Amino acid sequence: MAPLSRHRAILLAYGAMIALLLVTSIFSPGFLSPGHLRSIVVLAAFIGIVALGQTFVIIGGGIDLSVPWVLNSAAVLMTLFAAGQDAPLLWIVPLLLAAGALVGAVNGIGIAVFGVPPIIMTLAVNVILQGGILVYTGGSPAAAAPPLIQYLAVGRIGVVPVIGVVWLVLALLASLVLSRTAFGRQLYAVGTSATVATFSGLPTLRTAIAGYTLSGFTAALAGMLLTGYSGQAYLGMGDPYLFTSIAAVAIGGASILGGSGHYIGTIAGAFVLTILTGLLPALNLSNGALLIVYGAVILVTVSVSSDAFADLFAFVRRRRAAG
Amino acid sequence: MAFLEATSVAKRYGGIVALGGVDFAAERGEVHALLGENGAGKSTFIQVLAGSVRPDAGSIRLGGAEYRPADPRAARAAGVAAVFQELSLVPDLTVAQNVWFRREPLSRLATARRSALIERTEALFARYRFPDIAPDREVRRLSLADRQVVEIAKALAGDPSVLILDEATSALAPRETEWLLDLARSFARSGRLVVFISHRLGEVRALVDRVTVFRNGETVGAYPIGAVSDETMIADMLGRRLDRLYPERHATATARLALKVRGLSAGAALKNVDLDLREGEVLGVAGLQGHGQQALFQALFGALRATGEVEVWGKPVSIRNPRRALSPALGLALVPEDRRGQGLLLSKSVRENLTLSVIPRFSRFGLLSARREKALVDEMIAFLQIKAKTPEQPAGTLSGGNQQKVIFGKMLLTEAKILLLFDPTRGVDVGTKGEIFRLMRDLAAKGYAILFYSSDLSEPVHVADRVAVMRNGAVAAVLAGEAVTEEGILRAAMVERAAA
Repeated sequence: MAPLSRHRAILLAYGAMIALLLVTSIFSPGFLSPGHLRSIVVLAAFIGIVALGQTFVIIGGGIDLSVPWVLNSAAVLMTLFAAGQDAPLLWIVPLLLAAGALVGAVNGIGIAVFGVPPIIMTLAVNVILQGGILVYTGGSPAAAAPPLIQYLAVGRIGVVPVIGVVWLVLALLASLVLSRTAFGRQLYAVGTSATVATFSGLPTLRTAIAGYTLSGFTAALAGMLLTGYSGQAYLGMGDPYLFTSIAAVAIGGASILGGSGHYIGTIAGAFVLTILTGLLPALNLSNGALLIVYGAVILVTVSVSSDAFADLFAFVRRRRAAG
Repeated sequence: MAFLEATSVAKRYGGIVALGGVDFAAERGEVHALLGENGAGKSTFIQVLAGSVRPDAGSIRLGGAEYRPADPRAARAAGVAAVFQELSLVPDLTVAQNVWFRREPLSRLATARRSALIERTEALFARYRFPDIAPDREVRRLSLADRQVVEIAKALAGDPSVLILDEATSALAPRETEWLLDLARSFARSGRLVVFISHRLGEVRALVDRVTVFRNGETVGAYPIGAVSDETMIADMLGRRLDRLYPERHATATARLALKVRGLSAGAALKNVDLDLREGEVLGVAGLQGHGQQALFQALFGALRATGEVEVWGKPVSIRNPRRALSPALGLALVPEDRRGQGLLLSKSVRENLTLSVIPRFSRFGLLSARREKALVDEMIAFLQIKAKTPEQPAGTLSGGNQQKVIFGKMLLTEAKILLLFDPTRGVDVGTKGEIFRLMRDLAAKGYAILFYSSDLSEPVHVADRVAVMRNGAVAAVLAGEAVTEEGILRAAMVERAAA
């Protein structure tokens, strides 16, 4: 995609975000109140942080399905180890972030070095982590999140939620890395064509592995922060983030086939998904109907905004011409 | 009235005029060449003939009747079949299934259909004396050249009265090329028409009866081949006089060895290859297709695992991967065979493609400098005269010749001094070909060492200082001086086959 049309996809995502916000405020007065907006930012931040690593993985031409249980594992282990105290976080947080990154690196090595398809590799790691945590905790982990984590997740500085600030810093860093660094440039190249990247002398393996490593890192980070939001860790708290992290990237204008997209778009994607979850209950739909509409809306948004459709059309046209 | 006659055929794409109103007339029984640079409108015109593009204006008559195909099927039904450069085969189907694709008799019993298909394919192959290709083989297991042959079979399957060959020889080895030229001749002699598009003037002269030249979407000349010189055809194509396609060749080689290869082997593809490439030398690599040239280039670039000794500028090295080959310590760069699949990120800009291999040259602590990148890009675009609207234009939207220039620019920016050029002029227009040859000789004069393979035998003869001829994965002969002729190369490439 030309830079212009890539920007168009990102602008489209922000357009959708604003339109949804306005529509929702019509159905549900008070939606635009400061308190409500703040809670949207908080919820979007969790999606946004998980989707940060996912953005890098997808741009690099892969996909990370191990996100839910990396997130769960970090959440469960953090609350268990800390037992409600702040002091042990000093070693727990770095340790679990490193462990998340390590799981990501294992994903990356399996995929880049041993040629395991990304879907299989990350799905397998997801299941393995799930089993491991179930065995370790006996299926019923129960420990409260330490106060510091709760502050990070739901506290505010003036009117601004703390996690919003955390997210902003991460977003700036991610955007800088994608747009302005050698690593970012290499990631787009590897995602566009691993063969061309290899023939151009790029460190293809290292680049792909780094993407997955980052994804493990951000999933673990989001997991620990999320315990602060719900007050404790519970199994399955990461499940919704598999779908939303991928959907946020795609709504943000990235091609699901790799090589294009930007974290700036993913941010809009995270907001779109969050606002949508707020809009649907306002329409008085039953829970089941809600899920159906939610899934369908995401499917349509992703299809329209991602390159996948353009790719498909181009493919069909070519086949016709060759006919 | 001619058998196939097009009058004032025009086609625009938005603001771009692809065809400004071309005239074309060809008779039954002739092979008619359509010449022109890339972008002259040849492709659009044959797409019109093949029914995949509808003209905005003008008329075409075929055999006296109005010819206005709605789609490629309609064109085939009217007896017009085209073989394009881009292949249209389904990789997972067999040769026979592809040949009769969408023509298969609709039988419910797949097995019955299969044997019938294979029989019909064998009959077709026998009729046109096709090279040996098993009809039940899956297409994805065939070489590029064999796929091109299957593509030709597919076109002939409908027994057309007009056969259009668009650069059909560019992927073929000399032997298959010879076969296709024979086929075109006998096809025409049986009272039908061949429209032949090629960038190789030698082929055109040997084969065709008449030529029509396009330039910038207009017809600029139509001649019987006997009445027109190469210079006139080239001048028509370029709109200016090109002094000569091939540059002067001064001996610039020194005694210093840039590359010394001993006993390079890789499975069955490469057997004990010895090679010396000197500073300032253009060493041609030739031979029939599939005799190890590809493996040799890939092995030297680290893209294929091989055993043996390689010395670069006198130092023994191990070329583990392309990254190592491109590193400043070795300085080996490749123009790969597959421009679109190995050389370019088609969806990315000219700028990003040019600097892809030299990201460290404009970054510090991992941070890119847009200013320093722009300087490198502007310099290379000016040096190679790459015709892009802006450096941000996606590389995939450039013409073939300009795409190849981007790959050359990317290679030159690495400051590698040993260049491995694998078929750098394939599918490239005459004007750019001339520029590439001049560039090669200029670089050689500056001390670069160049290994050069071309699927067009006349190119190494005119451009290289010496030519290594490969046969069965080994170097069969190294020709120098007066011995470097097309006949000499073919003899060295085939002598063992003749004896066998």
